[in-house]
This record gives sequence, C-alpha cells and structure tokens, in this order.
Amino acid sequence: MTVVALAGRQRSPAISLQRQYGLLGVLLIAPTILIFCAVIVYPLVSAIYLSLFSIYTPTLQGHWVGLGNFQEMFSSGNFWVALRTNVIWTAGTLALQVIFGVGVALLLDQNIVFRSLARSLILFPYFVSTVVAVLVWRWMFNDVYGVLNHFLLAAHIVDMPIDWLGRMPNAMISVILIGAWKYFPFVVIAVLARLQTIPPQLYEAARIDGAGAWSRFWDVTLPQLRDVLLVVVLLRTIWDFKEFDLIYLLTGGGPLVATETLPLVVYKQAFGFNAMGMASAYSIGMLLVLLVFMYLYLSRIGRGEARA
Amino acid sequence: MTRRAWVRAIPVNAAAWLIVLIVIFPLIWMILTSVKPQDELIRIPPTLLPQNVTFEHYQELLEDTPFLKYFWHSVVLSTSTTLLVLVVGVLGAYSLVRFSYRGREKLALLVLFTYLLPSAVLVLPLYLLMVKVGIANSIASLVIAYTTFALPYALWLLRSFMAGIPEDLESAALVDGASRLGAFIDVVLPQALPGIISTAVFTFIVAWNEYFYALVLVNTDAARPLTTGVFTMLVTSFNIEWSLLMAAAVMMSLPLIVIFVFLQGFLTRGFAASGVKG
Repeated sequence: MTVVALAGRQRSPAISLQRQYGLLGVLLIAPTILIFCAVIVYPLVSAIYLSLFSIYTPTLQGHWVGLGNFQEMFSSGNFWVALRTNVIWTAGTLALQVIFGVGVALLLDQNIVFRSLARSLILFPYFVSTVVAVLVWRWMFNDVYGVLNHFLLAAHIVDMPIDWLGRMPNAMISVILIGAWKYFPFVVIAVLARLQTIPPQLYEAARIDGAGAWSRFWDVTLPQLRDVLLVVVLLRTIWDFKEFDLIYLLTGGGPLVATETLPLVVYKQAFGFNAMGMASAYSIGMLLVLLVFMYLYLSRIGRGEARA
Repeated sequence: MTRRAWVRAIPVNAAAWLIVLIVIFPLIWMILTSVKPQDELIRIPPTLLPQNVTFEHYQELLEDTPFLKYFWHSVVLSTSTTLLVLVVGVLGAYSLVRFSYRGREKLALLVLFTYLLPSAVLVLPLYLLMVKVGIANSIASLVIAYTTFALPYALWLLRSFMAGIPEDLESAALVDGASRLGAFIDVVLPQALPGIISTAVFTFIVAWNEYFYALVLVNTDAARPLTTGVFTMLVTSFNIEWSLLMAAAVMMSLPLIVIFVFLQGFLTRGFAASGVKG
C-alpha cells in the first residue's frame, strides 16, 4: 500500500488520492450492500414483523396478534417436539458424517491405486442434487422392487421386506443414514487437506518412540485434526440443522410428524395450514437456536482472520 | 515395493475401493435402472446388469414430457445466477481485499453470517416481496432469491482467492501510470481467473441443485426448474414412473458429470478456499 501511496503523491496530493481510493472501494462494494439490504436485511426484519401477525396465506390478509403466535407455539409443545426431532436428526447424521468422514479420509490418504480417481468419485454424493439422491434412494427402498430389500432377503438378514420410510424408528434411521451418505464427503475433503500438511517427522518421532499404528493415530493425527474438525462440526451442525430438501423429499416429515424438523414445520404452517404469521414465528424460533452455533463459528473464524 | 509393503497394501486397497464402490453404488444403480426395459425393471429378483440395454426411457422423456422445457429453465436460471453473482462478487471481493474504509472487517464477517442464514427464515418475506413487486412465479424471482446464498458464498470464496494475489504487480502497474480500475482489469482479473472459475463452478452447481426456493416461489410450468419439475411431471399420488425418473435423474446430473470430468481441479480448489480452514 505504501508504494501505491508514494506513486500517487508524485501526481496529486496524497490525501485526496487516499480519499479517492476509499471512495472507489465503497463504490465497488455498493452493489453487494444494496443486494444484501434487499434480499437479506429486509426479509430478516420482515420475518420478525410477520411473526407478530396472523396471516392467511392465500389472501395474505392479516391482523396483529402481538406475541400470540409465540405463546401458542411454545405452549402447544409443537415447537419443542420439532426441536427434539431436529436435534436427533442433526446429532445422528453429524456423528456418522464425522466418524465415516475421518475414516475414509485416512484410507484415501494411503498410497492406494488410482487414488485421485477414488478421491473424486467419493465427492459425487455431495455434489449431486438432493432431488437426484432422494429419487435413487427411494427407488432402492421400494418395498416390492427395491434392490436393498432384495439383498437383505437374499442374504437371509431379514425375512420380511423392510418398510424403510413408512414407520418409526426406520424412517428416522433412514433419513440419518442418507444424510450421512450425502454429506460425509465434505468432512473427507476438509480432513484430507489437513492430513497432507501434518509434518512426517511427527510420525517418525512417534515410531522411534515405539508407538503403534493406533497410538500414532490417537497421539499424532487426532490432535493435529482438532482445529479443522471443530470448524467442520460447527459448519455441518448449522447446515444439517436447517436441512429441508432431503427430509422433505424422503419422508415429508412422516410417518405423522416423526421426522418433521423445524424447517419442515415452517413450510407446513405457511402452505399446509395457511398460517404465514405462525410459520414466521417458527422460523424465528429456529433462527434463535441456530444463532448460538453461528456465533460460535463466526467467533472462531474471526479469530483465525485476526491471526492471519 | 518390498514384499511386506505389498502384503500391507492389498487389504488397504481392497477396503478403500470397496468403500468407494458402496458409496457410489446408488449412482451406478440409477444409471443401470435408466437403461433397463420396463419389464426388467419390475422383475423379481432384480437383474444386476441390464440384459437388454434400451434408451426408450430417455426418448420418452425428451419427446413426451416437458423435461426439456424444465431443463432449459434450469440452464437459464443457473447461468443468470452465476453471472450476476460473479459480477457483483468480483467487485465486492476486490473492494474487501484491497481498499480500506470503516467497517470493512465487520462487513466480511457479516458476509459469512448471511451465508449461514437458513432459507426457511428468508423464504416467506421473499415470497411476499416477489408478490408485491409483481415478479412472483418467474425465473427472475428465483435468480433474486438465489443471490441470498450464492452471493455471500461467492464473496467469501473470491475474497480468499484475491487475498492470495501478491500486491506487488498491481502496485507496479500503478507506478507505471495505470489507473486503479485499469490495474484491476489488466493485472488482478487475470491472476484471479482460476479462483473466479472455481466460484462460477460452485455457484452453478448450487443453483442447479436448489429445491426449496423453487418449491415455494414458483408454482407455474412457465418457470419451473428441473428440481421441482421432475416431481410434478412424474410423481402423482397414484403412480411413480421409476424408469422415467431414473432417466431424468441421470439427465439432471449431466452438467455435474461434465464439470467433474473437465473442471475437477477447480472444484477441489474451491473446497480449500471455503470456510473450512479455521
């Protein structure tokens, strides 16, 4: 920056050039700020405002109810039921994502044949559209022609076809498993990148000290992965918590409301029950829970930025 | 390799490739199902490999259903979103990296904050906004809605890419008498190009795959993208056309497959730059 300022001083007074640059900087960021105001700040404020009304979705007519929506939401217990479902889904799928993700990353870090092909293939579930993923899984889950039931029956693991999505706890388990399948590649990539930066001397030193494979993982690899895993867990918690597509398309929240997480309740309130005000109240309730994790993540990243 | 290394390598290789195959089995199954004739599809037990390969489902999909129309909507939607987000994002990211003004650091964190916001919170006000402005049920309304997640993400990616470009060259151009914008176009843009392509690829994929906003904001065949279109087209409460659905799923993944084959490097690079490093 000093070079720039010096160069400027030869042509015009430095102060005006600095100001000119500042102005240009603001000008360049202006479209971003305008768009953010229109599609994020305004809707956010508006969501809080809407939650104070009772609004009939088809006509969009409504009247003021104050905190009535929130009162009903909390006292009916529906919010807590959905939150509980949401926590079960998030914790279940996240745990599998991390365990499976770290495991596969360790395997793909080994010297295997066609390693780069294996690494790109493993990414596919993550990038494929949720719609495509759900279609395929529902076809494999099919009770009559589904390939999964066929395998299990042929291997004599079960003697009746499994109803994967129509009953509990099967539906929740299926959703959690497919969520893990879809999103674990994110963990793989993040962990693989970190694994490649661990200095080999650490392993050498451990080996000289007589550490076996297991203790090398436990005492060398895992501590090195701690930071990246923390960030990954926070990010994935936020993303899994607000997941809509996967659950909605797989079970629609069913059977009954057994897999109905908060985003699905928001959608059902707004377009199933035509209660847009109530839907907004649910969305605000959900945001409040998420803010905790968003704060943790952002303060973590903010610290990283300050260090850099 | 020594003999001992070989003995060790075999189980590791087998385990790794077995897992890879299990993970991508659903996608292989999708392709296999889409080329099986109808009678083979409902055979018990199912055939693993198709005995007769047929492309009749693809033909039916392209000729007798609105698939191509939805596909075109998705192309227009994803391309416009990507272009809009890139233009705004490149300028914004450059500003965040190279200029100093008050609130710049806070703005950068705010970008990340907006990226994490759940669409379930924003969707209802956006729906009302589109109705009020009079562009509900249009591709434009989806492009606008998609900026809510695509722009913050693009900004964050581009920002970390641009921060990696050394300032020296730019300074040299300025010393040589280039204007600030001239230096930006001649020096910064070419160096940022790999990062820009990465961002474009990512933005295109998320826009192509998006379902929730499309479900809420567009309720007409005149603007429906593929993600919601395949369901209205092929899933009714009485009947699910599995063979057509699998063919549609394969066709829908085509852009992704193209990106995977030709632009793989940009995909991995984008991953490294996203918010994972703490």
